[in-house]
Amino acid sequence: MNGDRARFEQTVLPHLDAAYNLARWLTRNDHDADDVLQEAMLRAYRHFAGLRGEARPWLLAVVRNACWSWLQANRPADVEPLDDGIADDSLPGPEAALARTLDRRLLNEAIAALPVQFREVLVLRELEDLSYRDIARVAGIPIGTVMSRLARARRLLAESLSVAAAPRLRVHK
Amino acid sequence: MKSDDGRALHAYVDGELDAASILELESRMAADPSLRAAYERLRDTSAAVRTQAEYFRAPAHLRAASRVAKRPALLAGAFAAVAAIAFATGLIVGRPGGDEGFASEAVAAHVRANLSGRLIDVASSDQHTVKPWFSARLPFSPAVADFSPAGFELAGGRLDFVGGEPVAVMVYKRRQHLIDVYVGRAPASAGVTTERGLTKDGFNVEQFSAAGLRYYVVSDLNRNELADFVGLLRKSGGA
Repeated sequence: MNGDRARFEQTVLPHLDAAYNLARWLTRNDHDADDVLQEAMLRAYRHFAGLRGEARPWLLAVVRNACWSWLQANRPADVEPLDDGIADDSLPGPEAALARTLDRRLLNEAIAALPVQFREVLVLRELEDLSYRDIARVAGIPIGTVMSRLARARRLLAESLSVAAAPRLRVHK
Repeated sequence: MKSDDGRALHAYVDGELDAASILELESRMAADPSLRAAYERLRDTSAAVRTQAEYFRAPAHLRAASRVAKRPALLAGAFAAVAAIAFATGLIVGRPGGDEGFASEAVAAHVRANLSGRLIDVASSDQHTVKPWFSARLPFSPAVADFSPAGFELAGGRLDFVGGEPVAVMVYKRRQHLIDVYVGRAPASAGVTTERGLTKDGFNVEQFSAAGLRYYVVSDLNRNELADFVGLLRKSGGA
């Protein structure tokens, strides 16, 4: 029993920041991320015996599911199914070139404004550096869907941050 | 550009493309400036998120709670220690208007809140914020006052469960000390009682009832200052 606890502390707790970062991006506020993560960590401990393979994607899957349960109960509009059956690997067009100096606040707001299905793959890919295969496992979706959602996330993000989307910065003609 | 270039470029940026496809894509990018530009936009977007987006690190109290959560023995030990304190001091025995379950649970709740770091649900020094927050969540509404002028700053409030019922916890700060005020409905028999304090192992507890509510004040603040605080609290609570 004590061995289990020690093993949990050694293998799972080092990924607490990653777990919190995901919960914080999915719930979009500190307080709820806190609640959801406490719940998720208890769940992780209870199911720790079932861990096979790497701890990080496993923990992130537990946290992701806890977040989705929370969203379904508290933000049902956020988790309505997306119509992403159509493969969409379109690229940001030339009009979506990023502004040269990027405002961090705007970037964070733009990520937060993405539909949660796109936001989670983006956060898992860019901030947690997970492979497509691990993202598929964490989010419970096929790899093809990981790729199309990531493509959509990047395109939406590039468009909302582009020079064209920042009229305040545009020079009058 | 080919129709599946989009997918290939994303995979290229993500390091998910196989070696043969990388060579093929790179040679085509060298020959096709628009493909090259599309790749650069993609790479920039990815890099912007990686380097500029907020990475939220777990707050210290969650780290501590995650350890505590996995150590029921440790937590049980803390509760046992608190129960022992409460019991040994006679906190429970022969207190007019007191309720042993409520008193010891209030102390245990105070320790639990400190251990887990969950001290405050609504952080505000504004009594007009804290009071309605309680009113919206509890069947009773304690008077909430800020005693900053006297050096007891209102830090916020939280909800807890003590003595089998929901209670309001008003949290005050005095220098480095926290003061938890547990407010619950008084049993019907209790009238206005006087406070009686006790000290043991760093915890001071004061209790009184007023206007149908009972108050348990738990802190590691010294007895004299805590008594001053309770005086202010009784005045604002209508005792």
